Amino acid sequence: MNRQPFSIIKRKWTKNLTPWVFLLPSILILGIFLVIPIVEAFRWSFLDYKIIADTSDFVGLANFREIFSDEIFWKALGNTILYVVIVLPLNILLPLFLAVLVNQKIRAVGAFRVLYYLPVITPIVVGALMWKMLYSQEGAISNILVSLGILDESMNFLTNSSTAIVAVAFITVWKGLGYYMVMYLANLQSISSQLYESASIDGANVFHKFTKITMPMMVPSMTLVSVLTIINGLKVFEEIALTTNGGPAGATTTLVMYIYDKFIDLDVSIASAAGLVLLVLAIVGSLLQMKLSSKREDDLKA
Amino acid sequence: MNSKTKTQKILVYLMMITICVITVGPFLYTLFIALKSATQGIYDGLLPTNPTLSNFIDAFHKTDFLLYLWNTVIVTGIAVVFNLLFSSMAGYALARIEFKGRSIVLTLIIATMTVPFQLYMAPLFQIAGELGLRNTHVGLAILQISTAFGIYFMRQAFLNVPKELEESAYLDGANRFVVWWKVAMPLVKPTVISLAIYTFTFTWGDYLWPLINTTDSSMYTISIGLAQMSQNFDGGNMKLISAASILTTIPSLLVFIWLQKYFISGQTDGAVKG
Repeated sequence: MNRQPFSIIKRKWTKNLTPWVFLLPSILILGIFLVIPIVEAFRWSFLDYKIIADTSDFVGLANFREIFSDEIFWKALGNTILYVVIVLPLNILLPLFLAVLVNQKIRAVGAFRVLYYLPVITPIVVGALMWKMLYSQEGAISNILVSLGILDESMNFLTNSSTAIVAVAFITVWKGLGYYMVMYLANLQSISSQLYESASIDGANVFHKFTKITMPMMVPSMTLVSVLTIINGLKVFEEIALTTNGGPAGATTTLVMYIYDKFIDLDVSIASAAGLVLLVLAIVGSLLQMKLSSKREDDLKA
Repeated sequence: MNSKTKTQKILVYLMMITICVITVGPFLYTLFIALKSATQGIYDGLLPTNPTLSNFIDAFHKTDFLLYLWNTVIVTGIAVVFNLLFSSMAGYALARIEFKGRSIVLTLIIATMTVPFQLYMAPLFQIAGELGLRNTHVGLAILQISTAFGIYFMRQAFLNVPKELEESAYLDGANRFVVWWKVAMPLVKPTVISLAIYTFTFTWGDYLWPLINTTDSSMYTISIGLAQMSQNFDGGNMKLISAASILTTIPSLLVFIWLQKYFISGQTDGAVKG
């Protein structure tokens, strides 16, 4: 008894089909170049996959056992965490300071915002090359520090194992200053000026206003900046590959440098297993940070 | 009182200028090196004693810089056009059309956004090879031809478009595609521009994917070309590389100056990308 006129059936068909037509190009592209590679990476991490011979034996957790017993992996993990620990406080505080500065209604403040944003839009290869020259033995930074008497003799910051990771971390901070500043600016501008006015009436000074009003109100953006810093920091690659290439003596070999080296050696199963560790860390990092900050917000409300 | 605010003001400007030295200083330093003549060593004094443009000219004549630039323009062009088109199509369907499987598609898209590229670069490298995309412009653009971030970003924008505007178009007999293209797209123009900027900046400066997907030096993008030049050349050619670095940054700078306000709004709206 199901005798609908043909035109209705057709209309129903096109109606059901329409969303999929809209989605088709993206589904095809993301399916082939994103979803399948991700699934493959999971699969490879449990195989002994040989990319050229195209042989793959199931090895269970052997790849994970191998990386967890690899000293270089632990060194890389340690360096990655050290790098994040260096970048995190700088990324939280410096851009906040910049945002407060350029949030004032004074002349030429727009020009300063533009100049602070410049490193963000600079290709990372260019940024790395510039800093490589600045950090070199005869470069500007060494010269300045020697003339100020902070350094006894000139040095190359990237080839010295005690300074290399800090030097590299500073490139990251430099490139992100403007980016995080803009995030803070949006948050700053959302704070009602009435709060500051009533604080002034109560006799609060600039310092009090900053610590008692600005800082607590900035918790949402500080959380966001922290999460982004951790997630991006765990994935650091370009700044290092283009300046120290992991050296000296592995002092700047991070997790992604480790993955990249394994990939270049065609140890793709090991690379995939280490990649999964990276994924887990990225997820854990952001969950932890979110939990911490929501707790802080609750404390503030109470 | 007045003098106090004046000194305060001077202090503020002094601090802002100091920060400028940090953010802009490296560019000036590199520019000065690029302007130094053949007789002046790269680290020989800060300013060029005999400023010359010959390093900029040599960057075009003595290296394949122009070829790398051309490759980068094509790859970035492909990425921007297709990412805008495909992401806004998908984003529109996910924002506006009720259909079975919508929430699954949406969840999948958001979930993939947290996966680091370095996890799946090896399988992607293999797939690109099997599909003949190694050393091709399309192959270099595939990361940005349609993106999970772009879809999510466009969907958020379409959700904010009032439905009434579209409904009147339907009453006039327009179909979904016409409404999407003629009614909805013009209304989300700022988001489209922000996504274009994001795609441009990412593709123009991308390093890791071009590094593994190009083996043929005639397919290098500027990032790879610059990195290779700096490794192959001895220190003496750093002036030339400095000149090329400055030239590489100019397009990004022009786009930024031109579309400044969209950089800012795009960044604050799309803060989820990570």
